[in-house]
Amino acid sequence: MDSNATLVFSYIGYKTLEIPINGRSVVNAQLEEDASELEEVVLIGYGSQRKSDLTGAVGQVDADQLQERPATSLNQALSGKIAGVQVNTNSGRPGGKSNIRVRGFSSINSSNNPLYVVDGVQLPQGNQDQFSSAIDYLNPNDVVSIEVLKDASSTAIYGARGANGVILVTTKRGRAGQGRVTYDAEYSVNQFGPNRAKVLNAEQYAMIEQLSWENTQKFDPEGWAAGEYAQYEPRLKRANPNVAYLFDSDGKAIYDTDWSKEVVQHKLSQNHQLGFSGGNERTTYAISLGIRDAQGLLKNTYLKRYSGRFSVDDQIKSWLKIGGSLSYNNQTENLADTNDQVPRRMVEDYPFYPGPRHTGGPLEGLYANNRDYPFAEGTRNSVNWLENNEYILNTQTTTGSFYTNLNITKELEMRTVIGANVLTQENNEFRNSVLDNNAVARASSSNEKQTFWSIENYLTYNKKINDNHSFTGLLGLSWQQSNSFYVNAASRNFPTDYFKYNNLGAGSDNLSVGSNATQHALNSYFGRLNYNLMGKYLFTVTGRADGSSKFGENNKFSFFPSAAIAWRVSDEDFLVDNELISNLKLRTSYGVTGNSEIPPYSSLSLLSSNYQTIWNDSRIGGTGLNRLENPDLKWEKTAQYDIGFELGLLNNRISMEADYYYRKTTDMLLDAPVPQSSGYATIRRNVGSMQNQGVELGLSTKNIVTADLSWNTTFNISMNRNKVLSLATPSDIFGVGGPGITNETSIIRVGEPVGAFWGLTRLGTWGTDEAAEAAKFVSYRNGLTILPGDIKYKDFNGDYIINDEDRSIIGNGYPTAWGTLTNYVSYKNLDFTLELQYSWGNDVMDMNLHSSEDRQALANSYTTVLDAWTPDNQDTMIAQVRDTRAGYVTNVDSHWVKDGSFVRGRNIMLGYTFGQNLIERMHLNKLRLYASAQNFFLLVDDELLGDPEVTPIRGGEGNNVFSQGMKWHEYPKSTTFVLGLQVGL
Amino acid sequence: MKIDITKYIGKFYLCALLLASTVGCSDFLDESDPSNLTPDSFYTTAKQAESAIAAVYADARFVGNGAGIFSSNWQLLEAPTGTSTTQTAQNSDLNNLYSLSYDANTLHVRNWWRGVYKVIANANLVLENVPDIDMDEGQKNQILGEARFLRAWAYFYAVRLWGDVPLITLPQSATSEDFFPSRSPLKAVYDQIVADLTAAEGAGLSWTDESGRVSQSAVKSLLAKVYLTMAGNPLNETARYADAATKAKEVIDNAGPIDLFDTYREIHDESLGNTVEHIFSLQYNDEVAGNPMGNMFPNFQPVTYRGPSGTGSTVPEIEFYNSFEAGDQRTVDREGWFYTSYYTNGDGELFDLGAPYIFKHFNVTANGTQGVPGTAKDNLNMPIIRFAEVLLIYAEASNEASGPTQDAVDALTRIRDRAQLTTPTLGEFTQESLREAVWKERWHELCYEQITWFDMVRLRKVLNSETGGFDDFVGHINLSSDQALQEKHLLFPLPEQEMINNPSLTPQNPGYN
Repeated sequence: MDSNATLVFSYIGYKTLEIPINGRSVVNAQLEEDASELEEVVLIGYGSQRKSDLTGAVGQVDADQLQERPATSLNQALSGKIAGVQVNTNSGRPGGKSNIRVRGFSSINSSNNPLYVVDGVQLPQGNQDQFSSAIDYLNPNDVVSIEVLKDASSTAIYGARGANGVILVTTKRGRAGQGRVTYDAEYSVNQFGPNRAKVLNAEQYAMIEQLSWENTQKFDPEGWAAGEYAQYEPRLKRANPNVAYLFDSDGKAIYDTDWSKEVVQHKLSQNHQLGFSGGNERTTYAISLGIRDAQGLLKNTYLKRYSGRFSVDDQIKSWLKIGGSLSYNNQTENLADTNDQVPRRMVEDYPFYPGPRHTGGPLEGLYANNRDYPFAEGTRNSVNWLENNEYILNTQTTTGSFYTNLNITKELEMRTVIGANVLTQENNEFRNSVLDNNAVARASSSNEKQTFWSIENYLTYNKKINDNHSFTGLLGLSWQQSNSFYVNAASRNFPTDYFKYNNLGAGSDNLSVGSNATQHALNSYFGRLNYNLMGKYLFTVTGRADGSSKFGENNKFSFFPSAAIAWRVSDEDFLVDNELISNLKLRTSYGVTGNSEIPPYSSLSLLSSNYQTIWNDSRIGGTGLNRLENPDLKWEKTAQYDIGFELGLLNNRISMEADYYYRKTTDMLLDAPVPQSSGYATIRRNVGSMQNQGVELGLSTKNIVTADLSWNTTFNISMNRNKVLSLATPSDIFGVGGPGITNETSIIRVGEPVGAFWGLTRLGTWGTDEAAEAAKFVSYRNGLTILPGDIKYKDFNGDYIINDEDRSIIGNGYPTAWGTLTNYVSYKNLDFTLELQYSWGNDVMDMNLHSSEDRQALANSYTTVLDAWTPDNQDTMIAQVRDTRAGYVTNVDSHWVKDGSFVRGRNIMLGYTFGQNLIERMHLNKLRLYASAQNFFLLVDDELLGDPEVTPIRGGEGNNVFSQGMKWHEYPKSTTFVLGLQVGL
Repeated sequence: MKIDITKYIGKFYLCALLLASTVGCSDFLDESDPSNLTPDSFYTTAKQAESAIAAVYADARFVGNGAGIFSSNWQLLEAPTGTSTTQTAQNSDLNNLYSLSYDANTLHVRNWWRGVYKVIANANLVLENVPDIDMDEGQKNQILGEARFLRAWAYFYAVRLWGDVPLITLPQSATSEDFFPSRSPLKAVYDQIVADLTAAEGAGLSWTDESGRVSQSAVKSLLAKVYLTMAGNPLNETARYADAATKAKEVIDNAGPIDLFDTYREIHDESLGNTVEHIFSLQYNDEVAGNPMGNMFPNFQPVTYRGPSGTGSTVPEIEFYNSFEAGDQRTVDREGWFYTSYYTNGDGELFDLGAPYIFKHFNVTANGTQGVPGTAKDNLNMPIIRFAEVLLIYAEASNEASGPTQDAVDALTRIRDRAQLTTPTLGEFTQESLREAVWKERWHELCYEQITWFDMVRLRKVLNSETGGFDDFVGHINLSSDQALQEKHLLFPLPEQEMINNPSLTPQNPGYN
């Protein structure tokens, strides 16, 4: 080699370094990181852009970040990664029940879910069982990157479907060059997650039971005197022949069962993913296959997924590229949290039982249910439910897309994308005869097929006029159509439990069938112009005209514009060589997006044929009024301002992105109440408005960067305030949120956050010296005088009546701030990740306190009842225990509302990547082992029982939307331990 | 050359695009619902007329629908009477009904408004559209008669609950002139009720109907009841007593198969629905909707196949139970209106309940009886008018119109004979004593059938369970809550939401602002 030559070192992300050899035989080069690393490309709607050229607020998650934490669904993978995106995992069920919001709520009646676009093809909104949609059936291991479009400038190109943010998902594609084979395996086990609510043990229960019976004398003296309660004496109940064997001669319980141990399984879950990819300059392909067998924490619950994906891209002509992908996914789940029978019963099952089955007495061998004990609530135990009730969801999705990319000229390109998504979901339910009072089994089966297709054509024109002026223009058309067909059948009373749901015709009672079909379509025209002035001033204008079949004849189409400006300040002369500031961009945008996610046919006047009357003891169908016509129904619109900056300091060792936004939704598609004297309750109208405003900040630092050791930290924080600005009428909207076990729990009221908690204010309990004052109240306890030891409410208007006048807003489930702090450390071949999730200022309404604290002795209770009022313990929130029949008080009130702020140890992971020498000898190009623990600790307020990230079991879709933070016996979350292996060759 | 081709292809694509955008979507965004009908495509055949009237019947079941946790709409008419109480305080709307502190937001009040007007609206659809259908005239008239009966039945509730209420007799759309109606004087509403029932009388309905549809005897009985109510508060058209007596007499004199059952158990025997004593009932069947009186089961006691279940949110107020005369068969355990013991899990060993519960709506077939497991299908109807009430309407109305008569005393005697109670003879009665005797009999015979409340309002009198006499409505203390009835309780408040949504609906009833 010429000793005067110059060595050129270049590496992506680092400044190119040229070092003259100057006769040396060893040259040490220290590469310097390059700010132009920002040249990474980011996907935007219908195209891509250099990150530096972005004018909108776009969050990005790359493949490395997705690998940090194993996840069963895309939403779970996305959780915590991007500021402004709130993903709540509200259930511990495998793959289940996450709630995703981009910058808060935009809507009351339409969907608040973002639009998902997978490889350029929009997914249907979907309304599958358990609030799931097509995205939940995508294998997250197939995903290489996710972009979240947040501000109006970036979402408006999706106009009609952009109001709740847009999530762009890119799946694995092949790359030219050497073929690659990858194999990833993962094994995990579950155990109960942190902060489980404590329940009474057998001894404590006996004490509370005895006390509650004795106190009956105080709370219903007349009934006591009349002997109404004699039979409820615990001593007599325990003598019942069915349960007598459980107690010794002193009436002491022999057994003490922890039901949480009875309901769990610690089965091994597995996940295997196999990938092949490769290609040459012309053609590339990728194939991936996956098997996931996720065993739930609760017995017999699981999620099994088989998935396959194939993609191919071919530069068939120099001017034409074609490609496509096809994926199939088959997912089967058995759910245990479609009703409260498991998670609730495991709290309430009697601790003095020997376990799931009786071990003595006349019922020996049979399930030990609370109902076997006299005067208990007539329930069956949690294990009984897990073993004898099935709720199977089988979902098959086939997604395909095909594109052509035509280079008409060097600058003009036309792309056509055809996409299709076929989702078939079968829901089979079976409750066998063991669980029925009359030994009658019940079975049902339903099937929904949802077909979605889209065709989109768009032209992209890139023109660089000179160094100072360049622009990109986009013009396109889109058609989309969704069809769904649903059919269900159910019957009861089978000659055998053998058939389950596989022979519904064999049931002799209550045969019922139903079917339903819908279709809706969207037709759109869209365009965008990006203009880049001198590389420093960036402008974007977009516009989209959308027409939807769902709206009235006069208002099918609407136009959604947006505009944005960005200024790359760091490219200005005065900053170009600044030591401190390596990158600074200011940007602002404004735009309008739409929401049409209401059921089809909402503008039509329709009769319903689903009335049922009974003549001659037979069912007779009837046809009557259903919905008022509204030919003027039109789009719900969300206007959004955004102002933000991106800042890189010290050669981007510190980088930061922050945004403030203000979103205002108007013309909300509300079921506006009408005078019910018309026979109708509501008309779907465009009324009302709501705002969200917030800030979001992402910070990432490279604390240590050396050859062997690196330490990076990312931190994000989001704050969002939601406020209802106007509704159809001044009247509040009730009937949202809540599992429907008491009175209204939530309210939608002008000036307040949507779905705020609503109830009485509990001041404490009445003291002995307040007896006279308490007695003045109109009874809120079965008509019996209010006594010391009863709950004391705030009587707002001082009328000594506790009613709706005394209800007010007592909290809401939305955090003041939330986010994630993640640290990555790598030392030589070791890598370590620690991810903490936090949420601050969110309330939890614990409805469980109704059944597990406010009342006693009908079932087991939380240990909080040990702090109940007694003459010696009067300074307490918890009423004196008593038999419920003697009059107890339970209302949605402020005592049920707890501070739900938390810090969660989301993920801790240690990985080891084998060295190059070793793996080359093994003919591999990658070998990594890792171990991880997820949800491994939780810091919460002492008052809070259980996990703060919840939505209640029960309640419909509408309820679910506004019930974040409302607790009614969720599927418990687990701590998961994972061992994983990644192999590449 | 190649460039030319790409240009050509590009142009072709462009043309295709433009073509597609203009032509391809002419009807792409049109929609029609494959699973539901529009009104202009319906009401053309006899079958559709039947389907339309079926919807009105279906809506009438609102009375039995739920009103929040552990509560039902019918409790609106039971809780304030003081004849019942609750063993659970879980539903604060229900609590407020018991404690007479309900207001314009109380769920039961809102549900009744919604329920009543939905029946009316569906009846209006029938009355507007069925006359134009080309079908058998006899069948058409019957359907119209049923619609009129059900509309009158619904308005009769409305006018008694709220007084002046919007009077709507045509189907509405959002552009209807009276879409935001004001309150019509109650006299006008009563006139409409009487007109509807009078028309239904002549609609060619059969005298009785075992299928559960409206019969002519039901029309006459309801009309008798309407007249009796018009004669009392607040209209006080005392001349209507004679009309009420006449209508009731038409039913008594032409009874045909109509009679009292011999035993009280037959009244809640599901196999005897729509026969003998049952003149009109809301129809229940497990296939569609089971009997809605479940909140009368004791709180978590195993009296049915369900084991320990039941809410106990309507159970007898003990003083009312004690107010029955000694020997009254209606208080005999598991024979009359009450039970104080039952078979474990419906069919097991007899056990003591510690207190009386309501047996009147207890379906022995469904829940089980000694040694016989229940069918678990509660097909028991909810009685609206029993013949016993017609007899008592007659006794009361004719006594008011013309003093005690043998017929009036006979009518009362038939009720008391079944209870194995002796009844004074005609000569022993004055108009006053017969009046109170009939009132008291109404309280004891018709309790827990959502009738007593309206008697209290109509008479402005309430049975005092402790003295056996009658208190004035205002000032009477309900023993279930120790609260006194006030003037304002003669009417329920208009639902607050409705008043907000309809600015013409003013004023609120007195005492509820």
